[in-house]
Amino acid sequence: MNLRRKFITSLAVAVPSLVMTGVSARANSVLGKKSAFKDCPRGITGPTAHRFPQAIVTDQNKKKAWFYEELIHDKIVLVNFSSVRGEEHYPIVANMVKVQNMIGDRLGKDVFIYTISTDPYHDTPESLKELADAHGAKWQFLTGDPDDMRAILTGFGIRGKINGLSWVGNEKTGRWMTKASRQHPLYIAEAVARLSTGKHHKPFLVDMHSV
Amino acid sequence: MIKRRKFLKASALLSVPAIFGGGVANAQLCRPTGLRSLGPDGKTGGTEPDSPAVTAYSQPLFIPPQLHDVGVAALNPPIDPNRHQRYEEFEAEKVYEQHITEGVWTYHPELDALTPAQAGQPAGSGSIAWMYDGGINGQPSTPGPTLVARYGEPVFVRRHNDLPTADEVVMPIGYPAISTHLHNAHTASESDGYPMDFATPGEFWEHHYAMYYARNDSNEALASLWYHDHMIDFTATNVYAGLSGMAIFYDDIDSGDENDLNPQALNLPGNMQFGDDGEGNSLGYDISLILHDVRFNAEGNPTYNVFDTDGHLGDLITVNRKVQPYLNVKRRKYRFRIYDGGPSRFYELGLFKTADRDTPLSFDIIANDGNLLEEPFRGATSVIIGPANRNDVIIDFSQFAAGDEIEILNLAEQVNGQGPTGRRLTGNNRMEVLKFIVQEMDEGEVDNSVVPATLRPLPEIPPQEVLDELIHREWVFDHDMGLWTVNGDFMDPSVISAAPKQGSAEVWTFRNAGSSWAHPCHVHFEECQILEWNGKKPTGVLKARKDVMTLGPNDVVKVFYRFDDFVGRYVIHCHNNVHEDNAMMLRWDITPG
Repeated sequence: MNLRRKFITSLAVAVPSLVMTGVSARANSVLGKKSAFKDCPRGITGPTAHRFPQAIVTDQNKKKAWFYEELIHDKIVLVNFSSVRGEEHYPIVANMVKVQNMIGDRLGKDVFIYTISTDPYHDTPESLKELADAHGAKWQFLTGDPDDMRAILTGFGIRGKINGLSWVGNEKTGRWMTKASRQHPLYIAEAVARLSTGKHHKPFLVDMHSV
Repeated sequence: MIKRRKFLKASALLSVPAIFGGGVANAQLCRPTGLRSLGPDGKTGGTEPDSPAVTAYSQPLFIPPQLHDVGVAALNPPIDPNRHQRYEEFEAEKVYEQHITEGVWTYHPELDALTPAQAGQPAGSGSIAWMYDGGINGQPSTPGPTLVARYGEPVFVRRHNDLPTADEVVMPIGYPAISTHLHNAHTASESDGYPMDFATPGEFWEHHYAMYYARNDSNEALASLWYHDHMIDFTATNVYAGLSGMAIFYDDIDSGDENDLNPQALNLPGNMQFGDDGEGNSLGYDISLILHDVRFNAEGNPTYNVFDTDGHLGDLITVNRKVQPYLNVKRRKYRFRIYDGGPSRFYELGLFKTADRDTPLSFDIIANDGNLLEEPFRGATSVIIGPANRNDVIIDFSQFAAGDEIEILNLAEQVNGQGPTGRRLTGNNRMEVLKFIVQEMDEGEVDNSVVPATLRPLPEIPPQEVLDELIHREWVFDHDMGLWTVNGDFMDPSVISAAPKQGSAEVWTFRNAGSSWAHPCHVHFEECQILEWNGKKPTGVLKARKDVMTLGPNDVVKVFYRFDDFVGRYVIHCHNNVHEDNAMMLRWDITPG
């Protein structure tokens, strides 16, 4: 709650002109010059906040959120990249469902899984909901304005519509790592456990040390 | 009082994006400041912020001291021989302990001045670093103390992970678990620094180095090795954080003593002294130089964009983790063991007089990947090294006058982590690496070192008809679906991708399927000899035993391997460590024959 208030207050500092003028032509003209905002203060910051834009994304249930501020900040996340069409050629969701099952009760509490659409021109909340529901995926599938999505994907170094990389991050500590999205789900769940801090931290799930 | 409540209310609404509808949903207020690559000169104009400006050649070179033998009795608990293959045969004669800690390190005094209070040290005392202790004066350093070993004298090292836990560690990158790989050592799997053999904070791992020639053949002697972290998924960042150090193996032939009376001894420059006096003077003439390119933030700490899986480029070259240092040298010969410590930069190093930067000076190359060549390559004017490559060179400063200043400059253009562009930097775009300041030798001092016409023969390669009968394997290094892959696969420690039998020989082909990137491809445990590089027989410095094949775009390299002496798990991987951490690695095993 405290965090949220801080977020609200600092947002107010960050974008006063937008607040004061509302959705006006003037705001749009300012927003058109995106470079003018490059170094504007952020509502919430964190170890890797500067890698990501302040942008709004929409999930399969049409719930909107600020990408970094509400979905990444201070969380343990597993981020992967796909699209409805990409999934036909390079499926990853089925493997992530296995990871979801291993993460169990932690999902949505301290661990969050996101699939970021690499094809926001075509992926709508409706089509993503269909994809998620077909697999029993309980995490958020995110789409949004194509420019914003491109900026988010660039932050993760993702190019192209199909990408087999998953990022595991603990934004409390700022530590991030990758696993192939089609890696054995146990190793992806292990990455989440390894990067977790506090009571959920485990250095490994399977002991593969030499004996 | 500009309607504070109203203002807050408005911003509260703003924080609930749903109210925007479609109108301002594309409001992208801040774009990422961390973008991808450097400008065309490979140095500036980049999209990652530049390092703070520092004065080149204003601080002395750090030369790590020798690792200090603590004796077998010092180990508590004692060595358990059952944990190590063939321990009874190669009982430890030299015993070392190293503690890996977090602290501060002076990369450059002008960067120190920018640093905040951190790792228990006051502001201004140094950049955050992970370091090794175990040197003669006990101070932790990066690179760590040099492991100086001799064939026939088995070594045992216990390495303690004394880093803070992931909850408490200050270093913003890397992961505080360690697995220390002695790069190119002919070492049993359990001592190799296999990526899954990691120790977490408070634990230690033991390494038994038999100091036994492969196949007991002195032509298989290794000379310039390095130890570096190999933690699964965190090799690039843990090494970047500071976890690297050098190792030197000597024997009767390459004895380290230029005055050695043994008729077999090569008498290369060296006096078995390691370290420096703190004022830019080396104690010895056999000096290891490891290059790491580092980028620093405004607070003087190393920075790293973990999200760029192409690789990391620093904008300041460090030599033994000192930014652009100088070294006083005498008018005599020196042996320099030059290491590319990575993670992703390739170098072409040239030697120039500061007063005449247009005329390349010549030097002799005596070793490739730390192994002596059959004969020296004389009159080289530059040397090309990729991540984890090593070249030993001899520079004879007697050709210069006292007071001359000689520089090592990097000529290779590289604009992103994928690899060099293939173009040469010119003029002031060349990157400053290290300056030598030439001085007269001491009164009565003589340089007895030589660079003999022959160094060490190469082990025999069987004739073609025998090679044709051997098992052939191909390893294709590629980029697929955003992943760095080997044979289309990515690292899975439960999958064994090749299982040669102990005592067997094979022909392996390394193929770079990429047309714009380079892959320094490294195989643990055994080294190989090149049969063909893009269809041609190797000449010059490529006629050597190698452990890192630096593949340029579309290169195909065919090599000869033998597998002997120990069994167990090893890896093959790209030594652009950023590619390695993004799964460009496979497990292979040697199985009992």
